[in-house]
Amino acid sequence: MIQVESLRKEYDGVVAVDDVSFTAGAGEVFGLLGPNGAGKSTTIGCISGLLSPTAGRIRVLGHDVMRDSRSAKSALGVVPQEIAVYEDASAEENVTYWGRAYGLRGGRLRARTSAALELAGLGDRAREPVKRFSGGMKRRLNFACGIVHEPRVLLLDEPTVGVDPQSRVRLLDLVREQAGAGTCVLYTTHYMEEAESLCDRLAIVDRGRVIASGTLEELRTLTAERDLVRLTGRFDPAAVSAGLAAAVPGVEVVSTDAAHLTVSVEEGSRRLPALFSALASLGAEIRETTLTRPSLESLFIKLTGKQLRE
Amino acid sequence: MPFLLASAVKDLRRRARDPLSLLLWVAIPLVTGLLLDLAFGSEGSGPSAHLLVADRDDSLVSGLLVGAFSQGELGELTRVEEVDAPAGRRRIEAGDASALLVIPPGFGADALAGRTSTLTLIRNPAQQILPDILEESLGLMLEAAFYLRQLARAPIALFSTAGLPSGAATYPDSTVASGAVTINELVARVQPYLFPPVIGLETAEPEPDARAERGFAELFFPGMVFLALLFMARGMSEDVWRERAQGTLRRAVVSPRGLGEFLGGKLLAGAVLLAVVGVAALLAGRFLFGLDLRGVALAVLWITFAGTAMLALFVLVQLHATSERAGDVLTTAVLFPLAMAGGSFFPFDVMPGWMAAIGRRTPNGWALDELSRILSGQSDLAGLAAAFAGVLAVAVAAFLLALRRLRSGFATGG
Repeated sequence: MIQVESLRKEYDGVVAVDDVSFTAGAGEVFGLLGPNGAGKSTTIGCISGLLSPTAGRIRVLGHDVMRDSRSAKSALGVVPQEIAVYEDASAEENVTYWGRAYGLRGGRLRARTSAALELAGLGDRAREPVKRFSGGMKRRLNFACGIVHEPRVLLLDEPTVGVDPQSRVRLLDLVREQAGAGTCVLYTTHYMEEAESLCDRLAIVDRGRVIASGTLEELRTLTAERDLVRLTGRFDPAAVSAGLAAAVPGVEVVSTDAAHLTVSVEEGSRRLPALFSALASLGAEIRETTLTRPSLESLFIKLTGKQLRE
Repeated sequence: MPFLLASAVKDLRRRARDPLSLLLWVAIPLVTGLLLDLAFGSEGSGPSAHLLVADRDDSLVSGLLVGAFSQGELGELTRVEEVDAPAGRRRIEAGDASALLVIPPGFGADALAGRTSTLTLIRNPAQQILPDILEESLGLMLEAAFYLRQLARAPIALFSTAGLPSGAATYPDSTVASGAVTINELVARVQPYLFPPVIGLETAEPEPDARAERGFAELFFPGMVFLALLFMARGMSEDVWRERAQGTLRRAVVSPRGLGEFLGGKLLAGAVLLAVVGVAALLAGRFLFGLDLRGVALAVLWITFAGTAMLALFVLVQLHATSERAGDVLTTAVLFPLAMAGGSFFPFDVMPGWMAAIGRRTPNGWALDELSRILSGQSDLAGLAAAFAGVLAVAVAAFLLALRRLRSGFATGG
């Protein structure tokens, strides 16, 4: 349903998205996972028609978003990262208005408005002015505005940012319901746990490029079932990089500086005493240690040398 | 309902929930107009003096004196009301009139006999100019009476010394005939001075200036209407920044209907509001200021067209600003010079000629002139058609340019 081929987007010579390609099908939740500024929202912006790609091709249900934008847009539902609703209108007026923007009329518009508000858990607050809503309720209304026309492709750009836990669970359930109904969902997030619980397939993006993609299982294999050990203290980066791997077989230095060290190692908890001993012999001073089991987080750190929230 | 109409209805509903800003846009010019009307009156006659007269003499001479205040141009300026002296004093103390003239008993007889007599003029201290005018006028009248008495001493003496025979209601025919002959001789004697044959005086009065006949309210009214339109157009144009800040503009960009109908709806909503304000303004002009308005339907249409074109122009300016604050400053910087030069603060009639000529060439000044012509029934069909076409062309051009700017990055923050 969505085909993105070699997408590139530049702003004044700065590359925001570089050679991004992926496809997503009906009933599938495809995740774009990456830190802030990785290029996720720019990718969504290009697919939705908000931004013009510098290069590449995007098709939605076979319609080229540049050449046949109206058809492509008609098939899309967009839930932007920023809440995009009229605070001085009621929830019902908001959903109705955006339903009209997608060509809904008469009884079907009324039925769909009602259904979208019920889905978002706002059925009993439909006539209230939005300015009285909590942040979570506005997020859900934002979602309702994006699905009122039953889009076949739904673009969700970090829809749970700043949302209370209850609304977050509700929103994730809504996404699952949409995918269950056959909608192709493209979901961007920097929350690892959301991606793990929601997405059928993922592309991990950093600095505008896809650095890994596949199903959750495929991505986990990329970590080779290795644990990540993160240490804080005082280190000699040159000595650690040169000597640690030789001192402790199977240890791989992911990143290091004077105060931090991250290594990947199989069966980390069993290898910790040897690791500490080797580091002591290399003149390091350890103050704190964290061991992370194989996950998207550890994969991301392994691939980029940094944490997702950095 | 087409998306264009849905967009207009959406904006109208939003405006209806914020009536205060709409009222403010309209109220500022309306209040200004009301203040002007209260200050200068809506009849166009300017200020008038209110003279209370306590005539305790009640003679022919005192009657002539009081009557003189009601004659000619002085009569247009002065309203005379006869009162008794105590009541007159109370009213002057209450600030109820410009001055009180007290004519003492025996004033007429003293005047005819050439004896000194004292008139009392009590001024209202709260007023400056009007009591001055009354005092000066009274002084002139008394001076004229003095010279008249000198000239007509003989006939005056004839009547004053002879007096009415006892029991008679009128003078005897012989006295009247004698008086007539004396007056005739007097006129014949002064005729060469009063009507010198060698000097011909031709009095030429120019055609009355229609504008000069107009009252203050009528003079200011079209300007006030356009001031309200300018305020409204500028205020409504800010909505593009609000739409951008709340993300709804981005949502409009990604919807298949696109920005044309979205922006068109915004202008359509503005046009409806401008029409409503136009109707309200004309009703206010009729009932508050008593203006004789012609071509009201055409005037509402013109107000709507011109106001919508101004709205489109202000939106265009907002879209080229770098921030909401810059847009605010920029549109304010456009509004006030346009309002001042374009006849909204000062009518063209009271401007120096060169300034009025420039003002009439500003978009709002030109539109204001057309409104004045429509309201006074002086517009012609061909001129009106050309004016409507011109305004429509400006509105469409501004709309297309604004749409281009929206599409070229304003919506996405570029």
